[in-house]
Amino acid sequence: MDLTKKQTRLKRWEGWKSSSLAFQAQPFYFLLPAIILLGLFLFLPALLTIYYAFTDYYLLTPDQRQFVGLRNFTQIFGDPVFLRSLQNITIFVVGIIIFQVGMSLGLALLINKQRRGNIFLKVAFFSPVVMSLVVISVLWLYLLNPTDGLVNSMLQAVGINAQPFLTSPNQAIYAIILVSVWQGAGYQMLIFLAGLQNIPGDVYEAARIDGAGKWKSFLHVTIPLLRPTTTLIVFTTLIAAFKLIIQPMIMTQGGPLNSTMTPIYYIYQTGFTDRLVGYSSAMTVVFGLLIVIVTFVQRRFAKEDL
Amino acid sequence: MKNVKKLVEYVLLTLLAFFFIFPLLWMVSSSMKSEESIYQDLNSVQALLPSFQITEWLSTYTELFSRFDIGTYLFNSVFYALLVTAGAIVVNAMAGYAFAKFHFKGKNIMFSLLLAMLIIPVETIIITQFTIIHNLGLVDNRLAVIIPLIANAFFIYLFRNFFIAVPDSVIESAKMEGAGHWTIFWRIMLPMSKPAVATVGTLAFIGSWNDYIWPLMILTDSDKYPLQVAITSINATEPVFINQVMAILTISTIPLIIVYIVAQKYLLQGLSSSGSGQK
Repeated sequence: MDLTKKQTRLKRWEGWKSSSLAFQAQPFYFLLPAIILLGLFLFLPALLTIYYAFTDYYLLTPDQRQFVGLRNFTQIFGDPVFLRSLQNITIFVVGIIIFQVGMSLGLALLINKQRRGNIFLKVAFFSPVVMSLVVISVLWLYLLNPTDGLVNSMLQAVGINAQPFLTSPNQAIYAIILVSVWQGAGYQMLIFLAGLQNIPGDVYEAARIDGAGKWKSFLHVTIPLLRPTTTLIVFTTLIAAFKLIIQPMIMTQGGPLNSTMTPIYYIYQTGFTDRLVGYSSAMTVVFGLLIVIVTFVQRRFAKEDL
Repeated sequence: MKNVKKLVEYVLLTLLAFFFIFPLLWMVSSSMKSEESIYQDLNSVQALLPSFQITEWLSTYTELFSRFDIGTYLFNSVFYALLVTAGAIVVNAMAGYAFAKFHFKGKNIMFSLLLAMLIIPVETIIITQFTIIHNLGLVDNRLAVIIPLIANAFFIYLFRNFFIAVPDSVIESAKMEGAGHWTIFWRIMLPMSKPAVATVGTLAFIGSWNDYIWPLMILTDSDKYPLQVAITSINATEPVFINQVMAILTISTIPLIIVYIVAQKYLLQGLSSSGSGQK
């Protein structure tokens, strides 16, 4: 390297150092912890998962992993359990969107009306939210017990036959939807309530003067003005619902007959319990990609609201 | 007529409220009676009431504490949650500060990358996260429970938005006084952003307290179990007594009730990160 080149380089370095003030190096220090942690536990695993998906990585023998091309991918699309899990999660997501969003909006409308004792209602509706998913899963496992469960004894008290709930391949996923709606609705109720209270009273007044009844003003004032809130709630609920795992893991172990097996639970089982990291990574890539696509589609649809 | 309508309304509302609250009532009252009476009471209102003998109220809890090391599980949960909370506040606030108040090369690219990370569904990559912890030699180490939960793209975003609102003149005048960025960060920015600190702190605490799959995967020694993992292990340890299971469920819920009461106003701000509670 000749001298002039070296000198200009040195000059440039000096200039960069002085022009950048004393603080120039500091953003790096402030960012460093976050960069390391996000890199190590989010960015790197995301990239590695894509790489593992093309290998036969077995958890106990990481050094012997070999490139297998698209074998994992062709295999998962012929895997009846994985396909079943995709079907189950579709039922769950649709059920959650309809019932949880509907329920939370209904509850918010109820609470929004002035009446004595409202605070008790609010506390009651919100109370399941403070329990963790593990707690509610174990609790409902006992409540929904087909023979000694409180729910069946209450149903029988009003003349309805005892139901199998979690032990039936036809009912289990719906029982899990019910429990999840029960747990989550109170939280979204509060967000809807905040949205409702942001609607100025004179808009309703104007609608009333124009001759709109209660139903009409709900349809033409409340619903449109609540749209940004609704979009936000549907958006977050949908993505969260895709990641269902704890409830089936504790309540049904994915059964009976895989009727409550979910993609994330199956990924966990194949990757961790069966130690087939390569195979489970391929499912992660496919299912992760599905979630990312849904996110993008939603953002496109919701652009004006978010 | 109006009164009848009102009565019907109240009856329906009470039924609805009952649907939401009866599992909680059953959980707490079943933890305060013997196992036989839980079964005997199933067909009466007494199912939702604790034992009529006050002396029986705490006996399930004493039995539970003598069978299992509940104190250790409680300590573990509190220990993990407090460290995650402290770490999450400091690490994410620092990064948020850098994005809000520094000008540096590649800032926009890094920020877009950060927002892109929000889309990665973390729950899908737990297996690979496990292989990383395994390679770091941290399997069955308490650190492994804590560190993956600290840095969070959403929390950084939240802090950054808060810090941007702090006027530059405040920072300039502190610089004139001779304060460095480190001092400004600790003495001015953090104290001025108490709502953001409270929101991130609350969400991080609840997230860590409720975390289940991750500690279940990486911990093998039951002395390191947090409460959530202890619950399912107690529920699988023969003989299983329902009243004891309900007692451990109640114990693990009480701290969260306190957190929700203290921090209720900060929780709504966290919507975009925690979603529906499905997590």
